[in-house]
Amino acid sequence: MKRFLGNGFLACLVCLVAVTGCGPKTTTATTDSTTAEATSSDPAGSDSAGSGTAEVSNMSGTIKINGSSTVAPISDAVREKFIKQYPNVTVNVDGAGTGNGFKDFQKKATDISDASRPIKPGELDACRENGVQFIEIPVAYDGLTIVVHPDNDWVKTMTIEQLKKIFVAGSEAKKWSDVDAAWPAEEINIFAPGTGSGTYDYFREVVADGEGESLRNDMNLNEDDNILVQGVAGNKYSIGFFGVAYYEESKDKLKAVEIVNPEDGTAYLPTTENIASNKYAPFSRPLFIYVSTASLPRAEVATFVDFYLENVSELCEKVGYVRLPEEIIAKGRENLDNEAIGTHFVDAEGNKRSGPLAANFKAENLTK
Amino acid sequence: MSKVKARAAAKASTPKALAEPDLEYQARNSKRREATSRWFYVLCVGIALLSVLILVVLLVSIGYQGQSRLRPSLLTNAHSELEIEQSGMWPAILGSLAVCGVCALAAMPLGIGTAIFLEEFKPTNKIARMIHGFVQLNISNLAGVPSIVYGLLGLTVFVYMFNVFGQIKVNESNGWEIVGAEHYYQVLSLERGQVVMIPQADPEQRQLTVTEPTVGVDADGNEVSIAIWEPGTPKPTDPEVRKRTVRKGAIGGTITERAWYYFRLPFDKSFLAAGLTLALVILPIIIISSQEALRSVSPSLREASSGLGATTWQTVRNVCLPAALPGVMTGAILAMGRAIGEAAPILVVLGAAVAKGTGPQNMMDTAVTMPVLIFNWSGRQQDEFRELAAAAIIVLLIILLILNSAAIYIRHKMQQH
Repeated sequence: MKRFLGNGFLACLVCLVAVTGCGPKTTTATTDSTTAEATSSDPAGSDSAGSGTAEVSNMSGTIKINGSSTVAPISDAVREKFIKQYPNVTVNVDGAGTGNGFKDFQKKATDISDASRPIKPGELDACRENGVQFIEIPVAYDGLTIVVHPDNDWVKTMTIEQLKKIFVAGSEAKKWSDVDAAWPAEEINIFAPGTGSGTYDYFREVVADGEGESLRNDMNLNEDDNILVQGVAGNKYSIGFFGVAYYEESKDKLKAVEIVNPEDGTAYLPTTENIASNKYAPFSRPLFIYVSTASLPRAEVATFVDFYLENVSELCEKVGYVRLPEEIIAKGRENLDNEAIGTHFVDAEGNKRSGPLAANFKAENLTK
Repeated sequence: MSKVKARAAAKASTPKALAEPDLEYQARNSKRREATSRWFYVLCVGIALLSVLILVVLLVSIGYQGQSRLRPSLLTNAHSELEIEQSGMWPAILGSLAVCGVCALAAMPLGIGTAIFLEEFKPTNKIARMIHGFVQLNISNLAGVPSIVYGLLGLTVFVYMFNVFGQIKVNESNGWEIVGAEHYYQVLSLERGQVVMIPQADPEQRQLTVTEPTVGVDADGNEVSIAIWEPGTPKPTDPEVRKRTVRKGAIGGTITERAWYYFRLPFDKSFLAAGLTLALVILPIIIISSQEALRSVSPSLREASSGLGATTWQTVRNVCLPAALPGVMTGAILAMGRAIGEAAPILVVLGAAVAKGTGPQNMMDTAVTMPVLIFNWSGRQQDEFRELAAAAIIVLLIILLILNSAAIYIRHKMQQH
């Protein structure tokens, strides 16, 4: 019996060796095939008097990206498409969070910083101190969705004031009837993303924007959005919020609340069209990349950023986000071409500018 | 209650009662003890089965979630954002093996050496005793330190190296490159997507402006002449010529070609730094298990060796280590099993990046490891990624199982000799 067992283990070991043994072979095989492709497509390219056909590039180099974990899937998607055309370029995309990304960016450890919010005045100062200059480019929209249980028949639309009553600390409503007398006298269960997430930050900024206001601290907080989905789906008297991509994945279990736009007083659902047209305000947020100008003379970085802008609208939809209007992408490209250094979201006095993207993203708002 | 008291009193006053045992009481007592023993046995079996049950529930639920994704593409492909269906974990498997290889190479000699020092070279004077006691105390403490703390340690020691060798900055400094790096200026040619490489002569000069014809190299290292096109004059049309022509005033940035033995200080976010950090995590485990193994070698063997005139080193080399090897290897492989499953220190040292198409290409390359990939996949909103995470967990479990089986096999094999 022992002997038999021993043989079994030997077999396992052999398997492991076989698996690891295959490793280098397969990788060399794939690299061989890519180089073979490159060389074989070379003459093909020269025959067709190539004017930018899909010829494999001989460009190489390393591009380092860090920042928001929300933007990382978009950058990863762009990277994936990019390296098909430029196989020798290495693109490292890390998603350590917007704040950590800017810390690396200030230390000149990265070429590009992903951000799910505009740069803050403090981070801008740190960049100036270290001589880091950047170009700010919005790449996509993320819509923040307020969700309730599908059996919730009393809430269809909500205003910011009603949300304030529920979410802001101090005056918080314990029961639904505290918000609106017509609603049931049942306790409200709240599910929200963790305090470390950009989503929480963004929600707090919109709802608790006053002096000394903060979100109530008796919410069920969780960094895992799947748990939030389950939480809201499991309780008729619950409410929650998270990124639109998560709502799209679990539409059958949840109901999205229409949010009344404070500008025109109409309620809008977080649909792709409403987010893109900025009607779903103020809960649609732009996502950015910040490109270091010191890196732009490098051919691989310039090509990658170019490629990013060309493909991001299509790719961001594939990974669950909403594309930006064409004119904003065009404006970002213009900034890149003209090397328009600085941010649009901090004014000359060092105060933060808030408001919709389209209103702020203008040449006259640019602060170096 | 009063009966017991009375009996105790009777016992104390009359030793005769001891001579005449209370048979009825003894029979009752014996039954009660046997019943307790039986209950304890059932409790132990229950507890043992509970731990197995938890494992079974875990395996079944993971297996149920992940079975649909267990296919060859999981083992051969890389993580993909655009074709989630086709995502795989091959680079992560390679990365984990590379990180664990570094970890084993660093931790095993250090750990076994420390264990030999502590067990075989017993202190002979007061100062040596103090050193021994100090080392022993620290190792016992280190075994209980959470692994994320080691991650922070690894970040300062291996990734940044206390900034002694300068900081790595994208457009300014590569740190101290010792071997395996060649620098080129990369300039865009007139042909779209194609570049020319010009060897870099002065490492301080990070940019080059091309104003006159110069000499570059192609992919095979052969020299090629590079022509200049001045805007305003007719552009060459032949693609071969366009590939060798750059616009006048074009700027080239520095790129680094790295050989596989590329070595640089500080290590930065490389699999080497991750492996060394993991070595710190498992070092106390290896030391303690090796100590146990050495301690279990019969003292008579040592005495016989010394009696024949062997020095301490000869005794360790020829007697103690061979006898203790099965135990040492088992401990080391179980520690490697822990290392391969660690996510926290790797997240601190390498970051959470998972998009990498290959295993590490050079000594300073980053790596994706299996636990980090699972961590990333399980937090995604797409159902496919969560199923993939479950499938990846199964693969990781199988690899761990193979490692543990290897440990058992080695122990059996060595005990036979």
